[in-house]
Amino acid sequence: MANLDSLFHGFAVALTLQHVALMMIGVLLGILVGVLPGLGAPNGVTLLLPLTYTMDPVGAIILLTSMYWGALFGGSTTSILFNIPGEPSSVATTFDGHPMAKQGRAIQALSFAFLSAGFGAMVGVIVTTLLSGWVTSFALQFSSPEFFAVYFLAFASFVGLSGAQASKTIVSILLGFAFATVGMDTISGSLRLTFGFDELLRGISFLIVVIGLFGIGELLLTMEEGLKFEGVKAKVSLAGVMETLVRMPRYWVALVRGSLIGVWMGITPGGPTAASFMSYGLAKRFSRRREHFGTGEPEGVIAPETADHGAGTAAMLPMLALGIPGSATAAVMMGGLMIWGLNPGPMLFIERPDFVWGLIASMYIGNVVAVVLVLATVPLFASILRIPFAIIGPLIVVVCFIGAWTVGASKPDLWIALIFGVIGYVFKKLDYPIAPLVLALVLGDKAEDAFRQSMLMSQGSLNIFFSNPLVGTITTLAVILLTWPLWMSLIRRAHLLRITQPKVVE
Amino acid sequence: MIPKVIDAQRALRFAASAAMALVLGTAPAFAQAEWKPTKPVEFVGAAGAGGGTDIFARAVQLAIQNNKLIDQPILVSNKGGGSGAETFVYVKAAEGDGHKLAFGTSNLYTLPMVAKVAFKHTDFMPVAAMVFDEFILWTKGDAPYNDYKSFTAAAKAANGTFKMAGALSKDTDQTLTRLIEKDTGAKFVYIPFKSGGEASVQLTGGHVQSHVNNPSESLGHWKAGQLKALCVFSKERMAEGPKVTQTQGWSDIPTCKEQGAGIESYQMPRTVALPPGTPQAAVDFWAGVLKKVTETPEWKDYLTRTAQTGRFIAGNDFKAFIDEDEKRTRKVYEEEGWLVN
Amino acid sequence: MKNERALISRTSMEVATALVTGGVGAAVIWGAAEHDIGWGDSGPGSGYFPFRIGILIILASLTNLVLALRRRGFANEVFVTNAQMRSVLAFGLPILGFVVLSLLLGLYVAAILYLSFVMIFQGGYRPLFAIGLAFAVAVAMRLIFPIWFKVPLLTGPIEALLGLY
Repeated sequence: MANLDSLFHGFAVALTLQHVALMMIGVLLGILVGVLPGLGAPNGVTLLLPLTYTMDPVGAIILLTSMYWGALFGGSTTSILFNIPGEPSSVATTFDGHPMAKQGRAIQALSFAFLSAGFGAMVGVIVTTLLSGWVTSFALQFSSPEFFAVYFLAFASFVGLSGAQASKTIVSILLGFAFATVGMDTISGSLRLTFGFDELLRGISFLIVVIGLFGIGELLLTMEEGLKFEGVKAKVSLAGVMETLVRMPRYWVALVRGSLIGVWMGITPGGPTAASFMSYGLAKRFSRRREHFGTGEPEGVIAPETADHGAGTAAMLPMLALGIPGSATAAVMMGGLMIWGLNPGPMLFIERPDFVWGLIASMYIGNVVAVVLVLATVPLFASILRIPFAIIGPLIVVVCFIGAWTVGASKPDLWIALIFGVIGYVFKKLDYPIAPLVLALVLGDKAEDAFRQSMLMSQGSLNIFFSNPLVGTITTLAVILLTWPLWMSLIRRAHLLRITQPKVVE
Repeated sequence: MIPKVIDAQRALRFAASAAMALVLGTAPAFAQAEWKPTKPVEFVGAAGAGGGTDIFARAVQLAIQNNKLIDQPILVSNKGGGSGAETFVYVKAAEGDGHKLAFGTSNLYTLPMVAKVAFKHTDFMPVAAMVFDEFILWTKGDAPYNDYKSFTAAAKAANGTFKMAGALSKDTDQTLTRLIEKDTGAKFVYIPFKSGGEASVQLTGGHVQSHVNNPSESLGHWKAGQLKALCVFSKERMAEGPKVTQTQGWSDIPTCKEQGAGIESYQMPRTVALPPGTPQAAVDFWAGVLKKVTETPEWKDYLTRTAQTGRFIAGNDFKAFIDEDEKRTRKVYEEEGWLVN
Repeated sequence: MKNERALISRTSMEVATALVTGGVGAAVIWGAAEHDIGWGDSGPGSGYFPFRIGILIILASLTNLVLALRRRGFANEVFVTNAQMRSVLAFGLPILGFVVLSLLLGLYVAAILYLSFVMIFQGGYRPLFAIGLAFAVAVAMRLIFPIWFKVPLLTGPIEALLGLY
């Protein structure tokens, strides 16, 4: 195993006092930016990048990646505590994380989130270590049809889950797709659905929509129960963290499945956001406690978190080996790589093994450091909920709008956030599911681009989605998942028929 | 915003600073001739993070920072929405503010031609073009073509099934593809991706036959022998330098003209512009700073590593250059039916 | 819930929402019609998907409309009661005020005014405490965003007067 040798060498590079110190600084800064909506890992990395120009590349990348890990953890914190996802990839964490916090189980929710995130990240790094060569050549097989199939798969595994009225789910999905088409169209280079507003040409920002739908919408709903200006009383202690740790192995299926989905989506690169939705969807679909999802089910926190972090970690590999960033943060880091005089690409592994393997080793250590640090902050964050609502409520409002502003420094964005807040409130009360809208908004334009690129390649023939075993398999899998409820009811009916024939039941 | 309001604000600000100056006993900056940044400066890159424009802005930031050319900190942000239009809308809105610089390419003046955006290149105060990026015709490393002629002949014979990947639509890559088609009679299926990096990975994976990336966008794949550089669209070969691959350095890539292409040269300027109504003193200040940037070792290093051609044009020369290039591009766009404005 | 006075019935809210989503669908169709909505040799045009999405939104909204009108259960259900609406407005209107103030005066000033207002008049805190806390938040905003992370926030005329950014 040449890779393992390289890895041990990498540990020697990464485990210096200076590098470990950088990791801790990075993680703490990352948690800070992750917690504040509107500031995210890309902001943090952008800020630190100029400081790294004079550092050695290994130290620099360790600082930046540690910040990324920290931000991923921080993003889940606000999802759970306030229903405001600090990062796009932690939207799915709100579904069960926030209900848990509302029931006074914030400690458990946060601990489950961080522990499973750490687990997912570990699986991601291990795969990166063992399969680095294979992963690169596998990723090269992906072209537009395969991308489309992956997005389709992520989508198919999530929708059709809510018990809501079908036509409402459809409206929600379609609105998401419609919002996703706003802005510049990559394929034709023309502006769509901007109606002459320049503010719309960059599209409707996912983060602003989420801040409105989840953050403000949730606050309005809470207020409806009367001005309950008091905090949630929760026992806050480190012991709660330990208890959760002990309960963790019980959820091994969700952990393993989530990690695998994450790694897969990180490599392909479907991205952490799609990965977390897909993992949540599959967990709900195959769980015995299906009907508890959405009401504070630990598995509903574990599934998206493992996938999110698995994908975030695994996405580093395509970035280094192919030069395609798997996330917004990775894109900023890639800019940094070039400034440090490194060129992402297959030769990086050969020319600068110290850099590559130092980085991979730092991913092991950095994630352990991150989990320990972030678990230590759990009591602190959980006690925020004890602050009376008359103070924390308006503060959340201010933070939400700061977030909406920082996304694009554009005044109309404040209105958009407010409007989506009202939409979130009304939709929730009328049982329109919100999550499909969000997922459609995330995947919509990417999926459309990939689809139309495929059509350019095939000159308009849909057969391209079955043109090779890889894309054919993914597409078929997606179709099966999309029609899953149909299959289930068929099987159930056949089953019932078999039972009812020999002896009469009831 | 209504100009009157701005004037009132300015007057107030002036009064405030004058009062402060009286208190502190220093003279306020009355003279228009001297302009200096008084708050952190923002470099806005008109493309996504990690791409050529981002690196351009960061290289300038690095050179300024290391050589302490200005006293204020610089922040690089990327506003790549709407193929970069987001940047120009953002900078245009910062009227008269010499602290926001738009870093772009020829998209400064080509975007308003193909998309219905509410800015014209004449809205901005152009500062300088600092560097020109080259375009190279790339194919897969193991492809059977060795020059411009044999490749385009094969494309022609393939009868419109050859795929050319590129970054964005109706931008430089697609324009060059059309020029090649006109030059040789070959037909390509142009497939737009979000960035040159993505296009390069698609070619490496063998999903398309070629692309016309800038050197830096495909450097990693070229080094590894996954891609082959057929020719560069410039008048002369690129600057001499060390070997990049086992056998070739940048200057070993022949020009397409040498190989009989009818395209004399095709280059993309990397441009810097200030918001409308920026005082001339600020424009001159930045032109001076950027000029100094081009003399730093950091900048030379940037040019070598990204294999671009350094050429600094500022002031009236730059305006004249924009006018000329705009007219030339407009002609191509008109023939393609891309014009909307 | 049923014995409280209903301000808006579930049925009327369902109908209103269906009409609004249908309206969005119409807007999408209108916007898409400016582009190529066909499926050419090179696959779907840039208006192909939006156009069809718009149509489907209208169809699904119509379905929602019909279902809302026909479902008996909704007639007795309450979307929001008087008391609930009062709570929501008590919280929501200050938010609206905050947004308007932010656009006029910048985020800092708006945050100070909004936080003080809510804490004093709705939270019942002592004015000194509330205003002090609001100022502390503004200072924290300034430290974290423009100074540490170099992300400027929306400022207004007052900051301009003070020469802040």
